[in-house]
Amino acid sequence: MTRRYVIAALLGFTSFGFGQDEPLPKAETILDRFVEVTGGKVAYEKRKNEVATGTLEFKAQGLKGSVTRYTAEPAEEYFVMELDGVGKIESGIDKGVVWEKNLMLGPRIKSGTEKAQALREGTFNASLHWREFYPKVETTGIEIIDGELCYKVVLTPTEGNPETTYYQKKSGLAVKTTTVAASPMGDMPLEAISADYKNFGGVTMATKMTQKVAGQEFIITIQDVKINQTLPPDRFDPPAEIKALLSKAAEKK
Amino acid sequence: MRIFLACVVAAGLYGQQVFFPEKQRQINSFEKVWTTIRDKHWQKDPGGLDWQAIHAEFYPRIVDAKSDDEAVAIMREMLARLKQTHFGIFPAAVYNDVEGDGGGDGSAGIDVRVLDGKAVVTDLDPASSAERAGVKRGWIVVSANGKPLAPVIEKLKSDPAIHELALERAVRARLSGSVGDSIKIAFLDGANAEVTRDLELRPERGQTARFGNLPPMHVFFETKKLGKTGYVRFNMFLDLVRVMGDFADAVQGCTQCDGLIVDLRGNPGGIGGMAMGMAGWLVDKPDQRLGTMYMRDATLNFVINPRADVFNGPVAVLVDGSSASTSEIFAEGLKDLGRARVFGTKTAAAALPSIFERLPNGDGFQYATANYISAGGKPLEGIGVTPDVEVKLTREGLLAGHDAVVDAALEWIRKKK
Repeated sequence: MTRRYVIAALLGFTSFGFGQDEPLPKAETILDRFVEVTGGKVAYEKRKNEVATGTLEFKAQGLKGSVTRYTAEPAEEYFVMELDGVGKIESGIDKGVVWEKNLMLGPRIKSGTEKAQALREGTFNASLHWREFYPKVETTGIEIIDGELCYKVVLTPTEGNPETTYYQKKSGLAVKTTTVAASPMGDMPLEAISADYKNFGGVTMATKMTQKVAGQEFIITIQDVKINQTLPPDRFDPPAEIKALLSKAAEKK
Repeated sequence: MRIFLACVVAAGLYGQQVFFPEKQRQINSFEKVWTTIRDKHWQKDPGGLDWQAIHAEFYPRIVDAKSDDEAVAIMREMLARLKQTHFGIFPAAVYNDVEGDGGGDGSAGIDVRVLDGKAVVTDLDPASSAERAGVKRGWIVVSANGKPLAPVIEKLKSDPAIHELALERAVRARLSGSVGDSIKIAFLDGANAEVTRDLELRPERGQTARFGNLPPMHVFFETKKLGKTGYVRFNMFLDLVRVMGDFADAVQGCTQCDGLIVDLRGNPGGIGGMAMGMAGWLVDKPDQRLGTMYMRDATLNFVINPRADVFNGPVAVLVDGSSASTSEIFAEGLKDLGRARVFGTKTAAAALPSIFERLPNGDGFQYATANYISAGGKPLEGIGVTPDVEVKLTREGLLAGHDAVVDAALEWIRKKK
């Protein structure tokens, strides 16, 4: 379950159908194995918060920037991208309020499918909680992706579009996800490639994510992940503009 | 203009014929046009056509074409099958006419529009060399560095492929040059007497803005009060951080205004998302959109997110034939939503992200990569925004110190009170 950043998108990896006689493992087994190969439940549960920092690049457009993501139990998040010429793009989750703020679209509160999608992705140690998010999971095939056999698993969430994630047969790692992602500008087909898994505090995570959406491709490279940091108590507080929107919505009710 | 990577030129893939250089250029140009449409058009079956069959039909005709002109006519016929605007071939000579000999970052600070076939000064950058030299609004530009503008204007106006936007760019290119150089411009003043000014070319008005691979561009943002009415003007939807911030400040500083004028005349567009963000300061109703852009791989809704402190007074948007792309999306969207009244003249009808490239034969090739439908269900491409109130600038009005379009907007706002 690769985190997706719906600000643009990708293609690129060759994927072939692959016939084989061996019975496909259950999706539940593949998803639980992912947790195991990336550190195991105990290692995940030792983590209470995480601060990840890295870079963002839209190669075709020549745009570069930085990313920082704070996440904490149970589902608190603050994510900020600073892109040259675009400025800050912020998003977050605080006590079930899912928001986004950027100079282009302005501040807004997410709702519906978009909110559900953000909550799935923003839940801390999300990989441990797949049973809460996806009432239906199914292994639908095996394909070669980037030279490796991968199990194709379709995860159907309670709310939102199904996600198809490819897990390497050999390593158990998730390497690609396709879905139709909800965004403020509408539903968009999205493909995300996860690579360069590295261990941070006992849990292995992808540090290079290449995503393609709406004809645009960008790469997020995680350079550092710090675990169990002392975070300021207001770290996940929504910004003033979001609080103003919440107050306005409350007044209307 | 954003230039995409050159498409594959598939010369030689269709047989083993040996062609002379002229023929090879024609074939290479044809292949570039055909392949670009195949790969970049927003529909997988461009215009609902079997594009491979189109190749089979037109390729032999290109091979048999007796001249460059005939080959260009065949390519134009192929593009006409799309029945869509912003797909065209511009002969190299016209392309050169548009680009002119000038060009460069240096500006004398003169804004011009072609009014009744003449290049008329419509605005002067504050403290520019033209303003300091006493150039006035309403003066006619006769020549630049001894080269008369009238023949260029006449020639370009007679070409149906050249729109007002391109015409005015062609004129402006002739009034620009390298920073530090000077330009000798002959004018007809208010009394129709010819006067000449040597004007120093300085960096264009505004601050240098950079956005990814785009070349650096100068962006200015102007805000003022016209009585109790707020007025904002910016020359491009670019320099996102500064312009969005300035727009927000202008709207928030206008809580007591009786109306707001957003002047997009001469604004060729820029980052489409900025139109959505600005509209969020003006539209209070949720779940509204300016329109929808259809691309091959995605459909983008130009959504509006109302701000907490929206400006609810009357909004006038000013446009002209040089208002294009994001300007048109903004103006038509707000007009369709009933949120703004549009004043001025018809816009450039160039809402789509269209791209100009040079073909191997030297001709210019324009193509669009998306379709856009406004909130009211109308395509903008090739049609443009028709103002609610059509008002044309006149030389006489400019000489008298009036901006007829601003005046009309102010009158409407005052009547709304």
